[in-house]
Amino acid sequence: MTPFLTAFFSGTAQGAIYALVSLGLVLVWRSAGVVNFAQMGQAMFTTYIASQLIQNNYSYWSAFLIALISGAALGALVDLGLMRPLTSRKNSQLLNSQSMRTTIPVIASLGILGVLKALAGIFWAGEERGFPSPVAPNAIKIGDTSLAITGFDLFVIGTVFLTLVLTTIFFTKTGMGLAMRASALNPEVTRLSGIKVGSVRTLGWAISGIASSLAGLLVTPRTNLSPNTLDLLLIIGFTAAVVGGLSSLAGSVLGGFILGYVISFVNVYSAPENVFIAILAFLLLALFLRPQGILGSKEVRSV
Amino acid sequence: MSKVKTHKVIGLRSTLLSLVLFLFFILLSNQFEPYNQSQLANIAMLLIAVLSITLLTGASGQISLGQGAIMAVGGYSSALLVTRLGLSMWLAFILAIFVSALFGLFLGLAAARLSGPYLAGTTLVMALAIPSIAVRFETFFSGDVGLSVDYGMPPEWLTKLIGEVSIEEWSLYVVLPFTAVALFAVLNLSNTRIGRTWRAVRDNEVAASLAGINIGRTKVIVFVCASGLAGLAGALYGFRGLVAPSVYPTDLSLTLLTAAVIGGLRSIGGAIFGTFVIVFLPDLIEKVTNNLAIPETVGIYLPALAIGLLLLLTVILNPRGAAGALEHLRHKKKH
Amino acid sequence: MLAITNLVTQFASIKALDSISFQAKPGLITTVIGANGAGKSTLLRTISGLERPSSGSITWFDEELTHKSVEAIVRSGISQVPEGHAVISQLSVAENIELGGLFRKRIARGDLTIATKEVYELFPILFERRNEPAGSLSGGERQMLAISRALVSRPKLLLLDEPSLGLAPLIAAQIISIINELCRSTGLTVLLVEQNANTALAVADHGILLALGKVVADLPAKEMAADSSLRAAYLGY
Repeated sequence: MTPFLTAFFSGTAQGAIYALVSLGLVLVWRSAGVVNFAQMGQAMFTTYIASQLIQNNYSYWSAFLIALISGAALGALVDLGLMRPLTSRKNSQLLNSQSMRTTIPVIASLGILGVLKALAGIFWAGEERGFPSPVAPNAIKIGDTSLAITGFDLFVIGTVFLTLVLTTIFFTKTGMGLAMRASALNPEVTRLSGIKVGSVRTLGWAISGIASSLAGLLVTPRTNLSPNTLDLLLIIGFTAAVVGGLSSLAGSVLGGFILGYVISFVNVYSAPENVFIAILAFLLLALFLRPQGILGSKEVRSV
Repeated sequence: MSKVKTHKVIGLRSTLLSLVLFLFFILLSNQFEPYNQSQLANIAMLLIAVLSITLLTGASGQISLGQGAIMAVGGYSSALLVTRLGLSMWLAFILAIFVSALFGLFLGLAAARLSGPYLAGTTLVMALAIPSIAVRFETFFSGDVGLSVDYGMPPEWLTKLIGEVSIEEWSLYVVLPFTAVALFAVLNLSNTRIGRTWRAVRDNEVAASLAGINIGRTKVIVFVCASGLAGLAGALYGFRGLVAPSVYPTDLSLTLLTAAVIGGLRSIGGAIFGTFVIVFLPDLIEKVTNNLAIPETVGIYLPALAIGLLLLLTVILNPRGAAGALEHLRHKKKH
Repeated sequence: MLAITNLVTQFASIKALDSISFQAKPGLITTVIGANGAGKSTLLRTISGLERPSSGSITWFDEELTHKSVEAIVRSGISQVPEGHAVISQLSVAENIELGGLFRKRIARGDLTIATKEVYELFPILFERRNEPAGSLSGGERQMLAISRALVSRPKLLLLDEPSLGLAPLIAAQIISIINELCRSTGLTVLLVEQNANTALAVADHGILLALGKVVADLPAKEMAADSSLRAAYLGY
């Protein structure tokens, strides 16, 4: 197998996971105007829940399902318990300043990240543990030649593809999806249409929780699980979201795959130590060349 | 005339405040055993970095989750100047300020185009990527092993003057003058015309630009100043013994932000309070857990838990931090 | 009947509405006219819940609206067409209309289909362009879309904020006359805010004249239209 194909296949599988993370970030950003830095902390926590269930002899799939449900619950909880009270308070002097209104939720999400990491450490001890995959991680063989793609890669790509199809159907074909798009685009007109924008926003947090929780379940068979493992995923997901355009769901998915290929090719053709620098360089390049992202639209700043 | 006068008064006030802080640390250190003396020195160093956040976020509204990375820039540049070029430690500290400020200039040029979450995310990526450069260029930066540097021994003239000086006390004496000067600089900056310009940008960028303020240039200048401060803090922090990627982890950046937030992003007194909390709270918790016989596997996560909860409580109860709460109380009493 | 009693809405220390009282009778068109800054838009935004009044009350028949949320007010049959042809330009025409009836989807799916058909009959141009983004419509078409979005929720009271603003006179007249027909044929109650007093008073049953947040005249539309001294004093022509 040529290095090119190796890089291509592993880039696709990794990119699929980054696309999920980036999708989760953009969902919350669009519906609530917050970049949720706690997102992968939530995913880490739900993956631990799944891991615990599997240890207690639950089947992989029931643990998988429960992890996704807890991801949704955790996302909704963050919104209801923290973000909603924070953004609804208008008279606090600190929030009166424009930049502080965007800064305070970021700080709050970092607080959640810290708390979740500490709790995971307390509940499950900090040391790295493995996380099972439902498919054997062996390379697929055709005759005697083994391909550069494993059964697990195919499982990841398939699951993400299915998720993306379902998400697209949800957003374009259902009333709730329409309500979510409308709330993100113009909350006032949406409220005047009788839609509870607050509840729609909470739903956005919940779906984002599911997407990132799924990303956690799909990435940990390869990276193992510890309170800090998923930090890197957040950073890559953020870069992917910026590259694709923070305002575009399709862009975020595209950005995820682009990052997958960039990282995978740097890994194969250069060296793993260069990955961080490549991410930073790629992010800065994207910000300079096209700050609104590939598929994003320019923000209009109003006086 | 009056303008000149107020400037003089402000200058006098900040000189006094900085001197008071200086003496307060010295007096406090005399009460302490060596361990807490070195913790006090840690506070004095980290305070400079926290002040850089107060300057950046509190005064101009820009958020950085990567001050730890800029500390690393300061740490590495000073350590390299001492180990490779044999410069004196003092000169290296001063030069570290300039190197980090230059770095901040590049960063600021990128950051001026960004706001809110973009800037937060970019600086977070930076926090992770910068220390990895040291590993990438191992021959130059010594990789994971890092560079060993320290404050050296207290000079003879000092021991002659005030008697025996322990290593811990000496580290405090090295750091304190820098802390006092940094405090003086930040106090002055926030009370001058430049400071007001920064606050205008923080409160409403559009209005500020309509008032003729060059937003981009202002943001870059803030970044340069804040980076210089963080770099100095990083240099001092590294000279406790080691400059290595593990000394400047991502968590350091977040801890510094926590200190600034719980004290009050807009308050310099808050920055001092917050720094004391993040340094002494873990010690306090350790004492309590030892008494309660909580297993160590749980105990090591309690400081992080407490700091995270404190951060959340602050933004929920009073986003203006301890300083804001204090002001609120004073206001209430008046009425 | 919509009854507004001693309504005050403040922005910081400025009273945009200064103790306003009037009534709008069911099945009729009541128009609120006044110069720029008289408080007309604030009045509509307070009725629909977008602004919070500091005192006074708003009732719709026996229902107290004063402290209800925007969504709850819409759900009790009061729909606002906001100023400036407010549609969501990135969504298609059909999606904008669907949005207006979304909250009734589960309880009245059948009626929703009928209501959608009705607005398409009312504005055939919207049916032709139903799959295009709302942003590609002309000003008049957008206003039609904004009205359609409100109508599919089957409101009993329609609040219109300057529907003729920025439109060519011919188009404006067309839209006002459609609203007039709607009111006469379906018994819809209309509260029409307009800067163009002549157009509004020509179709309205009753007129309310606002100046600096106060009601300065509360007369049948015909009398108000005939009173040239009122117009000279408050509208400047």
